[in-house]
Amino acid sequence: MQPIPRIAAATAATTALALLLSACGSGGGEQTSAKDKQTLTVWGMGEEGKHLAKLGKEFNKKHPNITVKVTPVGWDVVHQKLVSAVAAGELPDMAQMGSTMLGEFIELDALDTVDQKTFKKDDYFPAAWNGGVKDGEAYGVPWYVDTRALYYRTDLAEKAGVDKPPATWKDQMDLAEAYKDKAKTKWGTYNQPANIGTWQTWVPFLFSAGGELLDSSGKPALDSPESVKALEEYAAYFDQGLSRKSSPPDYDVVKDFGSGDAPMFISGPWIVNNIKDQQPQLKGKYATAPLPAGESSTSWVGGASLVTFKDSEHKAAAKEFTKYLTSTEQQAHWYEIAKSLPAKEAAWDEPALKNAPEQLDAFEKQLKTAKTVPPLAKWEEFSAKIDEGVARVSQKGESPKKAAAWMQKATEGLVG
Amino acid sequence: MATTTPSRRGVPDRTSKVRSGAGAGSSPGRKRGPKLRRDRLSVQNGPGWLFSTPFLVLFLTFMAVPIVATFVMSFTDFGLRNVADPFSTEFIGLENYTKLVDDERFLTSLFNTSYFVIVGVPLTVGAGLFAAVLLNRGVGRLRTFFRVGFYAPVVTSIVAVAVVWRFVLDPADGLISNLASEVGLSSPDFLGSKALAMPSLIVMAAWRNLGTAMVLFLAGLQGIPAEVREAARLDGAGVWQEFRRITVPLLRPTMLYVSVMTTIGFLNVFEEPFVMTEGGPDNATLTVSLDMYHEGFRFFHMGYASAMAYVLFTVILAVTLLQLRLLKDKTK
Repeated sequence: MQPIPRIAAATAATTALALLLSACGSGGGEQTSAKDKQTLTVWGMGEEGKHLAKLGKEFNKKHPNITVKVTPVGWDVVHQKLVSAVAAGELPDMAQMGSTMLGEFIELDALDTVDQKTFKKDDYFPAAWNGGVKDGEAYGVPWYVDTRALYYRTDLAEKAGVDKPPATWKDQMDLAEAYKDKAKTKWGTYNQPANIGTWQTWVPFLFSAGGELLDSSGKPALDSPESVKALEEYAAYFDQGLSRKSSPPDYDVVKDFGSGDAPMFISGPWIVNNIKDQQPQLKGKYATAPLPAGESSTSWVGGASLVTFKDSEHKAAAKEFTKYLTSTEQQAHWYEIAKSLPAKEAAWDEPALKNAPEQLDAFEKQLKTAKTVPPLAKWEEFSAKIDEGVARVSQKGESPKKAAAWMQKATEGLVG
Repeated sequence: MATTTPSRRGVPDRTSKVRSGAGAGSSPGRKRGPKLRRDRLSVQNGPGWLFSTPFLVLFLTFMAVPIVATFVMSFTDFGLRNVADPFSTEFIGLENYTKLVDDERFLTSLFNTSYFVIVGVPLTVGAGLFAAVLLNRGVGRLRTFFRVGFYAPVVTSIVAVAVVWRFVLDPADGLISNLASEVGLSSPDFLGSKALAMPSLIVMAAWRNLGTAMVLFLAGLQGIPAEVREAARLDGAGVWQEFRRITVPLLRPTMLYVSVMTTIGFLNVFEEPFVMTEGGPDNATLTVSLDMYHEGFRFFHMGYASAMAYVLFTVILAVTLLQLRLLKDKTK
């Protein structure tokens, strides 16, 4: 237990030093033309970061003067690394940036604006594009997208006497009950009960209930009747013992999906690949469906955008690389390599996507109506309050109304 | 250092005696020599400084600077936007500290940390003492085996420990739940239950740290003279009486050290909840260090987190002083 304060202290020291240094080295410097010989530094994140290096090499063949140096950074540390890099003035030229992080770095004034003549808003899924827009300026070009939809076990559903995908909240609840009662599964579904990232499962309920994260004036709208309704629906699964009330920090739902303990859950498109790798026996025994509808069937858009940093001296080259990565052809190619869904709508007509597993259809459909998570400077904190609000209902047993009021109060100071 | 002037060089006087006596590494015998009033930074002290440089550099960079920096920061509103623009940080006096008093999460974390310490420290120290006494007598050839067995968790990475304990505690296919189902019982979801999560972490921490206590107690036990024990036995003391009247009082200095170090470690508890529960369920295992980490490194409320750190520091200081007083060696 002892070393942690020291680590914290060391980090604080480094930050402090970095702050001193940053005071000396700011400013954009001179721009290099796209034709000069140069090295473009790019940070990629997680698995995508590893694959991105391949694309960098392919790009280099077409543009021999631009060498792309990709540094993959893990998703778990990237937020801290980027903030430290901002403080130290040591940002790369470009990065892949998770959609929910954009707001924070726009606020930090670290991102360069997107040339909207080269990159056209209409080419991309609107919700993905809007995730990087603040005050009319775009700061990121959507690279790939993801959204949330429903996964459910068809073989167990059959056993439980259900033969079509749940279309409404009521269907979903009935299916969960049928799983548990008739197919004798341990749980009926999995709604993440608490901890980091709970919002990812709850926000689809909020949006499908007709609710919003922020109202039209930009204030949180988490105590709206729709939000209460979404919490009630979410909580009902815990109250009836259809979903577990706690799960360990790195809980892997795919494992329980494979064993049948959790025969239904809401998650993103990468799960299709995970199931193929980790639970191959499930082939043909599960399906995806658009989110069951409350008022509507509405999900949220995640994914990553390509950003260029303000201090970069290779903005022209960065633009070339961004153009390359977001071309329709490369978007389809990217799907083949990384199984990430193209952010450009035209890419979905490419053969690679046409032949994609049928489980991805639900996501394409969902994407057309999915809503944006607004770019907030303090999204990390805002989302943590949602996580805690949901936990108050699932674990503390607070009434949805009270928890909604709590979330509203806790988030009020975090916007604007 | 400024008192050494060329004109006074080589003239022994009182001030120099006092000064060099206070300086590091100068021995009284050399005071009368011609090198008498050398500066602490003089050539003769060079090797001393040289040898301490690695420590000093590391200490100053990684301890002293952050300690001062966090103290100053705790009176500011240093937050995310100051990362790029540190000069817009504003001093807000004691606001961070007054805010802490009303912070429900922080109060919960203080309560949880106290719970952890009040139950965990006596348990760890007691278990360590028990293991040490058993190993000091008896067990014979297996002694080394047991010593290694008890000490191994101390040097094992917390992540490995967490993985093993998760397996032990897992409600679905864990060791305990399987054993329980063998005899027809059902086991609770230890880490998922508000009432049991903290006790589970305490047991794990006690198991993990008792090795250190045991090694120290073993050393202490070996320092107790055999004659004292023999005398007690001749006077007719039984095993319990010998333990109660001889072992425990003579172990007092060791006891003091062990409980102070264990308490400090336990007050800083971070890794166990961080890896095992993320502070849940319903903040039942949220500790001060974990809350501080979230505020500081997730949300970048550096000022606020620094204030938390200083509150924790004050608590640690107070508790340590109290222990020093209560467990003072009364045999001297």
